[in-house]
Amino acid sequence: MTTLTDDIKDSPSVPIRPAARMVAGVKVFGKGETEVLALNGVDAQFAAGQFTAVMGPSGSGKSTMLHCLAGLDRLTSGQVLIGDIDLQSLSDKEMTIMRREHIGFVFQAFNLVPTLTAGENIVLPLTLGGRKPDREWVEGLARALGVEHRLAHRPSELSGGQQQRVSMVRALVTRPDLLFADEPTGNLDSKAANELLVQIRGAVDDYNQSVVMVTHDARAASFADRVLFLVDGSVVRELNYPTTDSILDAIRELEE
Amino acid sequence: MWRITLKGVFAHKLRYALTALAVILGVSFMAGTLVLTDTIGRTFDGLFTDIYHSTDAVVRGQQSFNPSGAFIDQRPLISATLAAKVRDVPGVRAVGLVISGYAQLVARDGKPIGNPASGPPTIGEAWVNEPALNPLRLLAGGHAPRAANDVVIDKRSASVGHYAVGDRVTVLSKLAPAAYVISGIATWGSVDSPLGATITVFTPATAARVLGTPGMVNEIDVAGVSGVDQDQLVARIDAALRGSRVEVVSGLSITQQGQKTVHDALGFFNTFLLIFALIALFVGSFLIFNTFTIIVAQRIRELALLRAVGASRRQVTGSVLGEALCIGLFASAIGLAVGVGLAAGLKAGLKALGIDIPASGLVVAPRTIVVAIAVGTLVTMVSAFLPARRAARVPPVAAMQDVIVEPQSPSSTRALVGVLVGVAGVAALLVGLFTKVAGRMGFVGGGAAVTFLSIAILGPLIARPVSRLIGSPMAWRSVTGKLAQENAVRNPARTSSTAAALMIGVALVTLMTIVASSTKASINTIIDSSMRADYVVSSGDVTGVTGGLSPSLQRQLSQLPQVATALGIRSGIVQINGATTTVKAANPRGILDLFNIGLEKGDVASMGPHDIAVSSQVATGRHLSLGSTVSVTFSSTGRRLFTVRAIYRTREVAGDYFLPLAAAQANFTQQLDVQDYVQLAPGVSATVGRRAIDAVLASYPTATLLDQAQYKQQQFKQIDQVLNLVYGLLALAVLIALIGIANTLALSTYERTRELGLLRAVGMTRGQLRASVRKESLIISLLGSAEGLIVGSLFGWAMVRALGSQGITELVFPVGQLLIVAALAGVAGIVAALGPGRRAARIDVLRAIAAE
Ligand SMILES: Nc1ncnc2c1ncn2[C@@H]1O[C@H](COP(=O)(O)OP(=O)(O)OP(=O)(O)O)[C@@H](O)[C@H]1O
Ligand SMILES: [Mg+2]
Repeated sequence: MTTLTDDIKDSPSVPIRPAARMVAGVKVFGKGETEVLALNGVDAQFAAGQFTAVMGPSGSGKSTMLHCLAGLDRLTSGQVLIGDIDLQSLSDKEMTIMRREHIGFVFQAFNLVPTLTAGENIVLPLTLGGRKPDREWVEGLARALGVEHRLAHRPSELSGGQQQRVSMVRALVTRPDLLFADEPTGNLDSKAANELLVQIRGAVDDYNQSVVMVTHDARAASFADRVLFLVDGSVVRELNYPTTDSILDAIRELEE
Repeated sequence: MWRITLKGVFAHKLRYALTALAVILGVSFMAGTLVLTDTIGRTFDGLFTDIYHSTDAVVRGQQSFNPSGAFIDQRPLISATLAAKVRDVPGVRAVGLVISGYAQLVARDGKPIGNPASGPPTIGEAWVNEPALNPLRLLAGGHAPRAANDVVIDKRSASVGHYAVGDRVTVLSKLAPAAYVISGIATWGSVDSPLGATITVFTPATAARVLGTPGMVNEIDVAGVSGVDQDQLVARIDAALRGSRVEVVSGLSITQQGQKTVHDALGFFNTFLLIFALIALFVGSFLIFNTFTIIVAQRIRELALLRAVGASRRQVTGSVLGEALCIGLFASAIGLAVGVGLAAGLKAGLKALGIDIPASGLVVAPRTIVVAIAVGTLVTMVSAFLPARRAARVPPVAAMQDVIVEPQSPSSTRALVGVLVGVAGVAALLVGLFTKVAGRMGFVGGGAAVTFLSIAILGPLIARPVSRLIGSPMAWRSVTGKLAQENAVRNPARTSSTAAALMIGVALVTLMTIVASSTKASINTIIDSSMRADYVVSSGDVTGVTGGLSPSLQRQLSQLPQVATALGIRSGIVQINGATTTVKAANPRGILDLFNIGLEKGDVASMGPHDIAVSSQVATGRHLSLGSTVSVTFSSTGRRLFTVRAIYRTREVAGDYFLPLAAAQANFTQQLDVQDYVQLAPGVSATVGRRAIDAVLASYPTATLLDQAQYKQQQFKQIDQVLNLVYGLLALAVLIALIGIANTLALSTYERTRELGLLRAVGMTRGQLRASVRKESLIISLLGSAEGLIVGSLFGWAMVRALGSQGITELVFPVGQLLIVAALAGVAGIVAALGPGRRAARIDVLRAIAAE
């Protein structure tokens, strides 16, 4: 196994330490007739403190890549490194603890346990790990995301946007190395989506949070520092400091 | 619609698996009971047919009434001289003189072979020379008893006691123990011994002396010439014997009478076991109800879609009930097969215990098949009825709605219905316990079942706060506990009906535990307050019907210088005031030395052979006073009048009526003591006294010497044996309740797949997930056992109060034992969570994110 530091020495073009990397990631679903090659040798790095958007047509493997990076699923071959830990080598329990302590997520929907209040949902990763939440930090995050008055409510009593913001607080509460979001704004109207994206951007700017977000929306992607384009399970293009227009142009080019 | 129904069953076969298991268990218990009792019944039918195979008529003494349940007839003996008259009757080919009574073989190690108190009878008989009238077949190398001290014994006893022809053997009887020589070993027809009974056969003269009265016999068996009509033969013999107090019965009717006696006894055994099978099915019905309710809730969109595309309500109900029908039929059929297997296993087990059932095959009557299938299927369908109705109420728009709401009746209606049902149940229970209506047991059982139902109806109203309370220690500083608590209260109806199934088992266990403890405490009090004797000598057989202690033992004991008084107690079945009761009898002169019977009026010691003592309760109830006349009917000697000489309070010791020994000697058929009570002479130490008594007892191996503490222990042991038997039978109901908990957890986990995936995603380990399921299960089982403890305590209280007139005067709540019950229920709940917990932990993390 090549270590992270070796890689950095070998590739001087990478100026900052990557928070996560996928090396030659291959993911195959099914067998024989029904075999699907969802990831076809993906190489990608995600720098610490950077906000990366992942785009691509439906079925291109975006979610699969995110799941493998976040330790929710395993690659068929290749490597995923979070910091200098190789996820492939972890047992289920180690992987669970990895997710709990170093990774945060926001999914498109169903992010919250319905029987627990918003506040309980937020501190869930901490309490599961037997840790005591830092009250000031939790309250600060909740205030920053505008859900501080909703902490005693159950998820069913919150709007979709509020639910997503509570999920954001939960994702950030452990000060994760990486925050993953899979179409977090997919179920929101444009106003609520905008608010959420501003918060994510804020987390990157204020707390130096590393973020990887899958989206179909060029405007959402424009909040990112960098956009990766996936087609048929491979990274085909990268765009730095994108704008909505440059993203739309890139999509058009790719479609041709 | 049928295609949809069948598809429904197959699509959810895993979810239905535990439901089917519950039905299988209940039905197999029921079918097994029926097959076993039918098989035993058929065996006895065969035995009686064999015994009376060549018997065309039987001459025997007249019996004033039939002491029900007694296997050994309590008939007066008849004179052996009648045999000569019978032989002269035209059509009679041969006669056999039957003498039978209590005889007990002793093995080489001094231990008795067989014990009539807890197993097959130990019978003594006279050898019948006429082969057609003698079911015994001598093995080669032996001969029939010829000398006065010759005996023939059955092959099974010979092999158990390691006896061979020519060996000497000790035989216990109503006389002093004596040694005999084994002249032959015989099989009984084709089997070693009939159902494991030990048989000792003497010469007719010895038998008359040892078992009965010289010159008298129990029966004269008659074999007719071939082709004779039994009824005509009976009529002719009857005519020839006119004037003697005997009855003549045809071989056929005596066979049928014997068979009927056995079938009556088996019927009791059958009912006893079937009650537990029904309890198991009742508990199972909660599980079935739960499964269908949960599955209907989970399929609400599918059902709504069916309604939307045009299925009528009736069709939807029909489709759910159709699924119940399929499962009911399938599970009942398997249950029936398992039940037959169970009966076969039990039969083999009995054989291993030496009770050989000769009938070759198992009897699977058409009735068994019909009852098993019908009951299993009906229970399933009735339990599924409410969920099926609920399914039909799903509005078609639910297909389009996102939120799944389980329709629930409003809580005020629920409360009202629950309370009304509860009042009805408790009323029936109290009527059954405290009044003398016909069918009391039906009232008690039905009332208890209805009361359980009412708790199940009311359960959802209290399940939320109570589960929260039970869960709060677990939820304190533990996320898994908190989640378990929330999950337990999120659907109170489901939690409550799952817990209700366990409640039934726990309540019945609690009831039995309270009744047993109260009985023990009452016995303790009675022995302490009324037993003055230092020792009890017991044969283990308290009924005195099939065995007991030879009166010679009492004589020997009273002759010991270390003994002040030794008193033998006899027991007989009589009819008084139209009711069949057991009365005790003893020498009136010793009674007050050995017992405090709470004498209120009159005098016991001076009672003559025509006097009787009665309890104050009977005296009040029947307006009896000293000098009143009481009529007692004995089965052998008929109606006799007695004068009331004493009235006493303590009926727990002496019963309602008490006779002097002389009356027993004159009228009882069985002249064995059931117990001897001994008081040591003043100044004799326990060690010395005990040694002296033990020396006498050495030649009476069935007798055991007990001091007061040991006597109590012996009684407690008997209670514990019954208690353990009932616990064992209730275990099935508890097991089904636990399967029910596992079932609910499995179905709920299935429903929460996304949620569990999410929890796993945000960092819950598999162990934590398992812990959470385990704690949820613990909450449900503790809820059930808390309800069960409360309901069972109330039942126990009512039951003990109702048994007050039966001598259970103390009410004891054995807190320690009840806590153990609760703890065991908790442990069982944890065990029930193992399967569902493991399945939940295997859920794929990504399932949370994957769209449905
Ligand atoms: N569990 C699975 N089993 C089989 N095939 C799968 C599974 N998950 C994903 N796939 C396949 O892998 C490919 C990539 O799927 P993925 O969900 O990563 O796409 P995506 O880029 O996220 O698409 P979308 O934009 O629609 O969310 C698809 O062809 C999909 O059908
Ligand atoms: Mg996707």
